[in-house]
Amino acid sequence: MLSLVAPEFESRAAARLTGFAGFLHANGYAVGGADAVPVLDVAARVGVLDAPTLRWSLRALLCGRADEWQRFDELFDAWFAPPNRWQRAERSELERGVVGGEGAAGIGGAGDDDAGAVSRPQASREERLGSTDFRALAGREHAIEIEALMRQFARRLKRLRQRRETRARHGRTLDLPTTIRRSVGSGGVPLHLAWRDRRRVRPRLVLLIDVSRSMADYSFFYLRLARALGAELGDVESFIFHTRMTAVSAALHDVDPWRAQERLHLIAQGWAGGTRIGESLAQFNREHAARSVHRRTAVIIMSDGYDTGDPTVLSGALAGLRRRARRIVWLNPLCNRPGYAPISQGMQAALPHLDLLAPGADLASLRAVLPAVLDALG
Amino acid sequence: MTATTHALELGALQDELADAGYIAEPALAAVLLLMLDLGRPLLIEGDAGVGKTEVAKALAAVRSARLIRLQCYEGLDAHAAMYEWNYQRQLLAIQLLEHDERGVAEKEDDLFSERYLLRRPLLEAITRDEPPVLLIDEIDRADEAFEAYLLELLSDFQLSIPELGTVQATTRPLVVITSNGTRELSDALRRRCLYHYIDYPDHAKELAIVRLKAPGVAAELAQQIVAFVQSVRRIELQKRPGIAETLDWAAALLRLGISTVDAQGAERILETLGALIKTRDDRAALPREVVARLAAAC
Repeated sequence: MLSLVAPEFESRAAARLTGFAGFLHANGYAVGGADAVPVLDVAARVGVLDAPTLRWSLRALLCGRADEWQRFDELFDAWFAPPNRWQRAERSELERGVVGGEGAAGIGGAGDDDAGAVSRPQASREERLGSTDFRALAGREHAIEIEALMRQFARRLKRLRQRRETRARHGRTLDLPTTIRRSVGSGGVPLHLAWRDRRRVRPRLVLLIDVSRSMADYSFFYLRLARALGAELGDVESFIFHTRMTAVSAALHDVDPWRAQERLHLIAQGWAGGTRIGESLAQFNREHAARSVHRRTAVIIMSDGYDTGDPTVLSGALAGLRRRARRIVWLNPLCNRPGYAPISQGMQAALPHLDLLAPGADLASLRAVLPAVLDALG
Repeated sequence: MTATTHALELGALQDELADAGYIAEPALAAVLLLMLDLGRPLLIEGDAGVGKTEVAKALAAVRSARLIRLQCYEGLDAHAAMYEWNYQRQLLAIQLLEHDERGVAEKEDDLFSERYLLRRPLLEAITRDEPPVLLIDEIDRADEAFEAYLLELLSDFQLSIPELGTVQATTRPLVVITSNGTRELSDALRRRCLYHYIDYPDHAKELAIVRLKAPGVAAELAQQIVAFVQSVRRIELQKRPGIAETLDWAAALLRLGISTVDAQGAERILETLGALIKTRDDRAALPREVVARLAAAC
């Protein structure tokens, strides 16, 4: 009962409540300063002494998606139970620094975050390994060609059409309701015809890039492609995988090339290690697919298909992805080597689920397969 | 409102929901109460079959309000959701009005009057005398463009029809939006709504639901059914059984006269498993030995 308690307690409680939205914001929630007012409003309605109800009500008010919902209880306790408060807040800042923005939310629950914070110092070896290579991300060679090719790709992608129809100036079939409606003005004589045509809806892209050791010669090329494509299309999502899948959209598509390098540095742990494609894809299905992949999404996997894991896992994961996504295209850099056939266990397991398996080791080969890729995406 | 009356109302709402056939945990009741207080739409997410749609139905029953349902699908457009002119009747009217003495403007006004307007769910929902419950089901199936359109309605509660002018809401419907999460919804929509995530029910809640919805099932069997379904959900399946599946399965067991779930009856359980498991791969993940083991643990 807010009104019955002493005034200074009331103001302290109000201050604590107003700070809560900011605390959630610091933890990656999509809330802002303006939310402080509804928070106070809700607290006044349900009372601050009834902790469970206050918790449920604020949770409904401030959460917007399932992962926020799941983390909420912990954060609520952290904020309203004083001893843990600063410790947790600092830790969350640290995590945000590591993974950066949006990606942090998608990677996993609180348990994962703990593991990440502990294991980071050990990752320094990997970081050194990656440090020389990352400069290649902003390298000048071929930069203009890559950008031009991706611009071309993006432009053609925008021309793709889907089955849905919409009203159009010129079209394939007559739009009867609209035609009749227009004819009312001319006394029932249909002078002005209305048409329907297929709507242009560009497929949304999700890129899964293999950065394991066997891909060392190609992964930077693909990362640069992804970066250039991200600059053309706002909604490209990029993930890298070796033994696990990591979201890198926020880091990779950072407009500042230096900052993109730095941010990628921080997530380079395990870079150029072994490959478990199947498990990485299964993890992608579990953690990211529901948010990133829908019927308008085309998934492009860039990998050589050398999988050290169980091929049935890969096959199962691709089948799962297949059900969600509109198209799956696999770019394999080894594909156009003389005498190559997709006989590795991984490729054998993957082939039945793909719309297209295409080569793509360098700019020239990629330019050659681009029409085929666009066909497959359409 | 003080905290005490709020707590009382919370308990009362929970009881009313139970009377309407919906077992709501206090958290959901608190959110519904908040929704009634603030007049904000409620966005409910969760896996298929956890009872998202039922929330709206129960809410309508509790408020004795009409439930207006808009089922979303890909390609749903404003005309299908809001209003449409009745072209056939209009055409007929044009023919009839040809020999009418009135002026053209009057005739036209007549032609575009409410008589020729077909009300679709959204228009219906804001022009009723009593506030209805508007259920916008599976919004993730609709396009983003429609979502933006909906947002406009939810912020102003008015709708413009070019020929008629602006239609102001006579009442504000209680809006419940559900999503299966097959597509990311816009932040703008999420910001405007209260949010609730429904998980699969725990043992106690599911048992209460089975007892309520399938009164013919004996207490012990209900206990076993729920224990079995709960352990099936822990297996990694493509499509985990929801509450509807549990109830279907209970009905199937009842129909076949199976009175207890145990390892000896694994064969008969397998026969009824079609009510619980809906894909071939999942069926393969539950061979006889696994079913017997799960049943023995019940």
